[in-house]
Amino acid sequence: MESVAVLFLVGLLAGYFVLAGCDVGLGMLAPYAARTPAERRRLVFAVAPYFLGSEVWLVAAVGVVAGLFPELEGEVVAGHQPLFVALLAGWLWRDAGLWLRGRLDAPGWHAVWDAAVVVGSWTIALSWGLVLAVLLGGGTLSPLSAPVCAVAVAVLFLLRGAAFGAERLVPADDRSGADCAASADTAARATRVLARAGLVAVPVAVVAVWVDGGVDREAAALAGAVVVVGALAATAGLSGPHRSRPTSAVAMAVLPLVAAVGGRLPVAVPDSGSATLVALAAAPMLPAMVVGQVWLYRMVRRPAASSGFFA
Amino acid sequence: MFDDPLLWARLQFALTAGTHYMFVAFTLGMAALILVSQFSAVLRGDGARMAAVRFWGGLYAVNYGMGVLSGLVMELQLALNWGGLNDVFGHVFGAPLAVETVAAFFVESTFLGLWIFGWDRMNRWAHLAVFGVVTLTAYLSAFWVLVANGFLKNPVGFEMRDGVAVLTDPVALVTNPSALLAFGHVATSALLVGGLVMAGVSAYHLRRGGDPEGMFRRGVRRGVLVASLALFPTPAVGGAQYALFGAPPTSGTTLAEAEIERIEAAGAGTAPVLAEAGNAVMVLCWTVFLLFLPVALLAWPLRGLDRWRWLQWVLPVMPVLSLLAGVGGWVYRELGRQPWAVRHHMTTAEAVTELSPGLAVTSFVLFTGASAVLAGITWWLLVRFARRGPEGGPLAPAPPPDDGVAVPVHTY
Ligand code: HDD
Ligand code: HEM
Ligand code: HEM
Repeated sequence: MESVAVLFLVGLLAGYFVLAGCDVGLGMLAPYAARTPAERRRLVFAVAPYFLGSEVWLVAAVGVVAGLFPELEGEVVAGHQPLFVALLAGWLWRDAGLWLRGRLDAPGWHAVWDAAVVVGSWTIALSWGLVLAVLLGGGTLSPLSAPVCAVAVAVLFLLRGAAFGAERLVPADDRSGADCAASADTAARATRVLARAGLVAVPVAVVAVWVDGGVDREAAALAGAVVVVGALAATAGLSGPHRSRPTSAVAMAVLPLVAAVGGRLPVAVPDSGSATLVALAAAPMLPAMVVGQVWLYRMVRRPAASSGFFA
Repeated sequence: MFDDPLLWARLQFALTAGTHYMFVAFTLGMAALILVSQFSAVLRGDGARMAAVRFWGGLYAVNYGMGVLSGLVMELQLALNWGGLNDVFGHVFGAPLAVETVAAFFVESTFLGLWIFGWDRMNRWAHLAVFGVVTLTAYLSAFWVLVANGFLKNPVGFEMRDGVAVLTDPVALVTNPSALLAFGHVATSALLVGGLVMAGVSAYHLRRGGDPEGMFRRGVRRGVLVASLALFPTPAVGGAQYALFGAPPTSGTTLAEAEIERIEAAGAGTAPVLAEAGNAVMVLCWTVFLLFLPVALLAWPLRGLDRWRWLQWVLPVMPVLSLLAGVGGWVYRELGRQPWAVRHHMTTAEAVTELSPGLAVTSFVLFTGASAVLAGITWWLLVRFARRGPEGGPLAPAPPPDDGVAVPVHTY
């Protein structure tokens, strides 16, 4: 029961990093990949319906921590208040930007919420890097590994976003996005640069964490880092975005695994009563969860169309 | 007094929860009404009715965004500010919240994404079914949150082991009368909110003389009807909660009787007075509905719903009162529980995280401020879109692409 609950939590977090990495990463790339007003509008189309289905993974993970691992919540969250306050603030303003941007047709309004999306996305990614540093550092933020981890995680988010943008920003059939074709090319070109940057940043982060004396179960955590580096290496030499989508997904999925295995997390056994309640209540909803996610994901696989609620 | 983190944490919770609830009540009520409208539009294959669904759905989606944002603030706030509660009651109080996020919100938000994105891209029955899932899971969300909240008021189904509460009887937790009655009352009062919003917005447009294809004539009828149907069930289920004011069944298992008496004798400051004020606001607002809705129902066969100006001036005020009643009800419930966070087991002072005053104030300013700004913007947008009508609403169909003007056509 205990390991099932832990696996469930890690699975939810992996789902979050893989899926939300796309929209957070593309938000971070916006100033670079979307320069004209039309391009910025299209970037929000590309991100917007999709983020509704990706951030629920994190909301669910937070709920599971609160319900099944409250000790973890006390230990990790309460010990690093400012960090989690920053993470929530970034999340809040990014989402507000996505929800509100399309509501008014005024350049000033768009500029404000575009800025919220960009700053919020960067805040989210950097905060996650610091959270990883805290977990691997056994509960402390060291001046050496913290910034390095933050940079490495930010690079992985950027890579995931660029790979997503290379597909989603391609002009749709209705030609409405034809004047934005440059965005997709910019994102595609960025995948290679970012994969190479990751090839540098991730090993540096591993060394930094090591020097700090963190990381509990070295071999397992190192294996995780090797997987990330391998995935990056597979993309770094290619000229286009070809394989960057699956490789960046692998890199993102490994992050929570590394944190779970390498961090010294005080994971107690969840109560059998609580675990039973959650399992029994969630089981009948499982088909709806799967159908909804797959359906939404398939719909947004196609290049973004040009009109809708969000932009 | 202002260097007391407890005060800031409570104030922050009260303000953000009150904001959250106003959006949530709108969501719950409107979802049911939109589902009915969409069903009737799809069944008849009627484009005019579908345009109305787009209009109400646009308001719904704008509102939903803020429901989620304020909900996120609530969730992290529980983790950051109410650590004492988590440490002792986390396994019990947190379990239903976990179910809410995994089994309800996860599906709700995914399917809302599908619904917004699926206009014109999906089979119309599939699109209707998607909104059916959204509606169902919205109520499921409310149910599980209220199981958590009901536990605070009437703690059942647990045992204390080494100073930590352990869930021993999940069935008792889920069938807690304090949760079931609250859910019944929240659901019926949300229908009152939804009905009055639809009737109020429709009446505004009828007064201004704009009624594209009869959508607002239908809206005012449907709204008045739903609100009237919810009028009596609301106090019936709500009033049943007055019976729950005795000691909870688990009283005395954590603290001794004498200790409980000592804590209650020390009082809860101004909380009981404010709580009674909340109760009064709620009951007074309901009394206004009781006096007003029969008149509106009478006006219907007399064709006054579409024509009487005074009625069309009064109707748009009603949704505001319904939201006020909801907040009043929560003030009554939450402040009425003071000085307890978990009745007869843990005081509010014990439930709060040991925050430095600086951090407590920072968190308050940051999140209460953000909530206020975002809620203000959202309300302004809602009023704006409601007044503007179906033209150019958030879910209005895209204008046909102006072929070949801006876009170069490649013919080679
Ligand atoms: C449109 C909103 C609305 C309206 C018209 C009413 N209520 Fe209410 N009331 C709520 C909205 C609400 C609420 C916000 O939904 C509450 C807060 C907690 C809950 O369960 O529902 C609530 C709580 C609540 C409680 C629980 C207090 C507690 O648990 O400590 C009682 C006893 C009542 N109500 C009774 C009534 C009566 C007798 C009403 C009519 C005469 C009434 N309510 C109208
Ligand atoms: C959404 C509508 C809600 C409103 C308007 C509301 C209102 C309030 C208010 C006014 C307080 C402050 C009490 C004080 O000053 O001490 C409070 C506290 C609190 N409420 Fe609620 N509440 C709501 C829902 C909930 C729900 C659903 C839960 C649980 C799941 C909850 C849990 C708490 C907790 C833990 C506290 C802090 C402890 C306390 O002061 O008793 N509230 N709430
Ligand atoms: C302490 C109290 C509460 C917390 C911590 C909380 C938490 C949240 C969170 C995190 C969200 C967005 C994601 C999600 O649903 O998980 C949300 C939205 C929602 N909440 Fe709450 N909530 C609280 C009170 C309430 C109450 C009292 C109700 C209803 C009676 C409610 C009903 C909903 C609904 C229906 C949504 C979906 C969003 C929407 O439809 O606007 N919540 N809440």
